[in-house]
Amino acid sequence: MKILIADDDLLSRRLLEKTLQRTGYDVVAVPDGSAAVAQICDPDGPRLALLDWEMPELDGPEVCRVIRGHKDLGYVYMILLTSKGLKTDVVAGLGAGADDYLTKPFDTEELKARLRTGQRILHLEGRLVEAREDLRFKATHDSLTSIFNRGVIMDLLGREVSRSRRESIPIAIVLCDLDHFKRVNDTHGHLVGDEVLKEISRRLLLSVRSYDYVGRFGGEEFLVILNNCPAGSTAGRAEEIRRMISSSAVQTNAGPLPIAISIGVHQTDNWGAATLEELLHEVDSALYAAKAAGRNCVKFAKPTDSVTAAVSTAIQLV
Amino acid sequence: MNVATSSILNLEELLSRVDDDRELVVELFFIFRSGCLGNFQRLREAIRREDGKQAERECHTFKGILLNLSAPRAAAAARDLENLARQRQFGSMRTGLAELESEVRLLLVQIEERADEFRK
Repeated sequence: MKILIADDDLLSRRLLEKTLQRTGYDVVAVPDGSAAVAQICDPDGPRLALLDWEMPELDGPEVCRVIRGHKDLGYVYMILLTSKGLKTDVVAGLGAGADDYLTKPFDTEELKARLRTGQRILHLEGRLVEAREDLRFKATHDSLTSIFNRGVIMDLLGREVSRSRRESIPIAIVLCDLDHFKRVNDTHGHLVGDEVLKEISRRLLLSVRSYDYVGRFGGEEFLVILNNCPAGSTAGRAEEIRRMISSSAVQTNAGPLPIAISIGVHQTDNWGAATLEELLHEVDSALYAAKAAGRNCVKFAKPTDSVTAAVSTAIQLV
Repeated sequence: MNVATSSILNLEELLSRVDDDRELVVELFFIFRSGCLGNFQRLREAIRREDGKQAERECHTFKGILLNLSAPRAAAAARDLENLARQRQFGSMRTGLAELESEVRLLLVQIEERADEFRK
């Protein structure tokens, strides 16, 4: 484990460095408080630190205060080293954000024991962060497909439509529905159906750019938000998505299954006063039109220019 | 601490703190010897300018070094000097500084002897 030693006294620094290297730590040693802060703030910096109380520029307690003020940093376990033996000093050090203190000259066994305590705390913190991230992921992602769940994709849609209105940036709302998915479930069972949904989600993610969004809207329906998508390129983008899905059969435990999707699109940079529900209703109508047109095709809710309209008509593939 | 009866250099304690790493002890002696002059110069200058805060800091640093080196008598002299600096008793500090210098001189002699022993 990486550990930081900050001490302006070379003798003390060297003594600690050797002691900790012998114990198996990966030691980073610096001579002042500012260098200590820089090391700790590094993304790969140490999370365990031994700080001398008296240092030039920033002293130990000041380093603790600065580090505790960085809310985006992971937890850093900081031990103050001091030959100040007064209770008031200890209280001041702990009040500044130190986790522990050790008096000089340190006893090697005591130092090791206190560092082990620090490691335990850091390990526990790591597990808590992991659990929090896991919960956050579960709360925002669909458990089967691992793409955004309905709540999140709807929030994102609201946010992006607002931004589009505010900044007149064109976006496209793309609603995709798997064709004849009920047949897959009825013929091969729900487990195979789940395999298909997972693979389709993966393909949808592959078919969009990093700043577009893909979410599971419902059963076999997926909502895609194409950001900064001008009218002239929307039809092509929607068609790419359709092609990406149907380009090859989905490999399942029941064998390869050819899967296609129908797509409804609403694209503009002028959303008027329509609510999200109204916009989705329009996209849903376009999707319905794609289904009615024989499936495996793209239909637009409101062709915004002649190019889109022409392409929309041209790509009605059955 | 009874300055008169405690040892100048508690080598046994120092060796136990470094897991009997004699090479490291020699290195620490060298670091101490090299930095000693600078420590005294900064301390003398702070006392001359009657800069209590700086003097207190220098004494504190010196005390830490001496404690790390297991030099109890010199460390006690540095601690006494730190207390005087805290009270801004600059007159008494000059006497205290002379005591510290004397203790460090004794310590340096012992360090030299021990370093020679370890090198053999």
